[in-house]
Amino acid sequence: MSQAPAAFARVADLCSRHRVAAMIAFFLVFPWLMPYKALAINVLILGLFAVGFNLIYGYTGLLSFGHAAFYGMGAYGCGIAIARYGLPWPAALAIGILLAGLGALVIGGLSIRRRGIYFAMVTLALAQCVYYIAYQAEPLTGGENGLRGVDVKTISLGLVELDFLAPTVKYYFILIFVALALWCLSRILESPFGAILEAIRENEARARACGIDVERSKLVAFVLSGLFCGLAGGLKAMHLSIVPTEVLHYHTSGLVVIMALLGGMGTFFGPFVGAAVFLLVEDQISLFTIHWQFFAGALFILFVLFFPRGIWGSLTHRIGRT
Amino acid sequence: MILRTENVGKTFGAFSALRNVSVVIPRGRLTAIIGPNGAGKSTFFNVISGALRPSEGRVFFEEREITAAPQHALARMGIAKSYQITNIFPNLTVLENVRVAAQARVSRFQIWRSRAMLAAPLHEAEALLEFVGLTGRATFLAGSLAHGEQRALEIAIALASKPRLLLLDEPTAGMSPEETRVFMELIVKLARERTVVLVEHKMKLVMNISDHVIVLHHGEVLAEGTPDEIRANDDVKRVYLGQTQRAGARST
Amino acid sequence: MGARREEEVRLLEGRAEGMATPARSIMASAMAGITLELLALQAFAGLALGTIFVLLAVGLSLIFGLLTVVNFAHGAFFMVGAYFGVYLFGLTGSFWFCLVGVPLGVGCLGLVVERILIRPLYGRNIDYPLLLTFGLGYVLVDLVRMTFGIEGRNFSTPDALRGSVSIGVGDFPLYRLFVIGITALILLGLWWLIEGTRAGLIIRAGARDPEIVRTLGVDVSRVWLLVFALGTALAGLAGVLAAPMRGVYPEMGVPVLIEAFVVTVVGGMGSLLGAVVAGLLLGIVVSLTSLVAPPMANISMFVVMALVLLFRPTGLFGRAGLMG
Repeated sequence: MSQAPAAFARVADLCSRHRVAAMIAFFLVFPWLMPYKALAINVLILGLFAVGFNLIYGYTGLLSFGHAAFYGMGAYGCGIAIARYGLPWPAALAIGILLAGLGALVIGGLSIRRRGIYFAMVTLALAQCVYYIAYQAEPLTGGENGLRGVDVKTISLGLVELDFLAPTVKYYFILIFVALALWCLSRILESPFGAILEAIRENEARARACGIDVERSKLVAFVLSGLFCGLAGGLKAMHLSIVPTEVLHYHTSGLVVIMALLGGMGTFFGPFVGAAVFLLVEDQISLFTIHWQFFAGALFILFVLFFPRGIWGSLTHRIGRT
Repeated sequence: MILRTENVGKTFGAFSALRNVSVVIPRGRLTAIIGPNGAGKSTFFNVISGALRPSEGRVFFEEREITAAPQHALARMGIAKSYQITNIFPNLTVLENVRVAAQARVSRFQIWRSRAMLAAPLHEAEALLEFVGLTGRATFLAGSLAHGEQRALEIAIALASKPRLLLLDEPTAGMSPEETRVFMELIVKLARERTVVLVEHKMKLVMNISDHVIVLHHGEVLAEGTPDEIRANDDVKRVYLGQTQRAGARST
Repeated sequence: MGARREEEVRLLEGRAEGMATPARSIMASAMAGITLELLALQAFAGLALGTIFVLLAVGLSLIFGLLTVVNFAHGAFFMVGAYFGVYLFGLTGSFWFCLVGVPLGVGCLGLVVERILIRPLYGRNIDYPLLLTFGLGYVLVDLVRMTFGIEGRNFSTPDALRGSVSIGVGDFPLYRLFVIGITALILLGLWWLIEGTRAGLIIRAGARDPEIVRTLGVDVSRVWLLVFALGTALAGLAGVLAAPMRGVYPEMGVPVLIEAFVVTVVGGMGSLLGAVVAGLLLGIVVSLTSLVAPPMANISMFVVMALVLLFRPTGLFGRAGLMG
């Protein structure tokens, strides 16, 4: 392994110790690295979604295949509040987040058990159940056509009026929330509870014998994860001005698993790397074939077989940092 | 008396691993549970440590019934265990292994403050590493330790929850004679401040250091008493005579 | 179902269409007079639906029980079976040939998948095989799309099995009776294989303790290979059997995967009896719900699953070993 130059090592060390600040700095210039702004916005939103998922899988070790439920509940919660009840966007966003957290409490309560073999299957099934419910509840959710009319045109922040429809404004507005979320996540991971999650991931039986209430802790982590995903969903609703039913579908749950693995589970920056790579691949490949799912699936299989640490995970593992 | 079992039985399907086991573990002493392989020692260990629920009978810890208590509750009550097969947190540092165990006692759902702010678990962990002689390895990943060191770490993790009752399941399995000797000294040191229950199948090892011995055979209590009483017990001699002869023939 | 009954139900559905809430649907049904016979017929239809669930859940349970792998590509194998059936039928014109050829073909695919993709992952994190099969699902779906196009295909009921037959309470499609019958035969065969043969003994022993089987000199990896192939063959067979009933399209594997999971959770992972009971039970539940309260039909099986999770989390027959 080649020796990293001293300056690079110093920068890397600084970044890992102030990772939230480093990421915000990176994201400040990110839009200019992407072919177009909408892609950058999607990376932020999907990355946040993957961050929430990463909390429960990468850091706690629970593989959920139903996380679209929380993303979707955040999206529908926020969307319905704006489109059907005309609430202002802060309240709508809060409603979306809370709804997602509530959903996580219910789904987590049903799926987190002493013997966790069903966890992936149960979360998948329950999330699909939520999808069917939303599909049926047409007056509220718009049924199979999705929810329309989630119109946020301007954002008033005190004296300033922002034009939300301008991509650049939208991007930086969303970045504020992503930054806040990352800061919260950083605190959670550094906390005593974060240590408990690591212990559970490393050796559940041992954690139990040390006096850790494993099931209760997993549930708390699951709800926290749901809150992050709900925020991502709410932002998505505001971004698209519609909420398509796909946000609740199995494919979206699968999407976040793919992004998390591609990027690197259990790393702070990995989810965004995964989101960016996936969106770029999808974007580029769909230019010449509609069968991009084949390539996505094949790529994913390759990673599971040969690079389970993901891109960022493998990189940081080599450099020896988290 | 710190722990008591009342007619404990455990069956797995048609196989009865434990039958009618009623024993009393004296407080503050070192008790050894011995018996040939297959006697039910591990099953009994798992029952009193909360990993298995008995099919019949009850278990009492300091006169509180713990038969159906969840495992994490037992740790909070003051029972700690170490495993026969090393069971640590492999990708955490040695220090963090012990620190998180110490922290588990005082903090459950603190999600906002930094774990570095909790000074007590950190100091306790450092002291424990010193006690088991692992201070030099504090920043190493636990999975990278040598076998004997991992066993010492096991003990440190178990001690982190400040147990009044420490349960050890064949702690010297896989150790060299020298490592075993050092380890046994550690166990005697531990037994001075708390109750220790040791499950072992190497009879010679424990007879010299135990205060109280329970002999299991085919899932039942064969004999119970001081080491001298056990040594003089005819049933025990009959059961073990064959074992020691065979063991003697094999060892150098 | 007899022509008169079909008319009645269509009228019901027509009236219910304008009504959104379940309560009004139930009232509509009550108004038209749901007879006991109609319920019995619908329950029987549920049996036919359930047998497909059973075939899928049994395959899933076998694979998990022995390999500890949750096969997320199970729905995709089901879909491949249906398409392979379309292909073979187009080639030979014989449905009976398909019934034999499809499971063989899909089983071979399963052999290749296990050997090349899943085997390297044993011994690593237990989530990896699951994740791999999940990715494989996407690959298989698009491969089928590339070969057969993105539109669905028609698979009409084979001539010999068209029409209805009277089963006492009314007329019932012959094809669905056939599906029930053939599934029963297969289950009997499986039961004989697992309980009565040496191969089955090895499978049962291997499910409980792979180490023992290894020390007995049996090649455990060979057993795993064959069990995976058997599981996927069952999924493929379910696909070709379901084709005339559900239609054939590339995305047909997704709802089916979820159904298989729900059945497995309700029945108990690793239990074949559980898969059978849960599959039939859920088939009947869904079928009856679609008659009595159509908007709830989709989520009825999840309600059952939630109840099982609350009151009997290991499943109705959940246990560690196979054939429990």
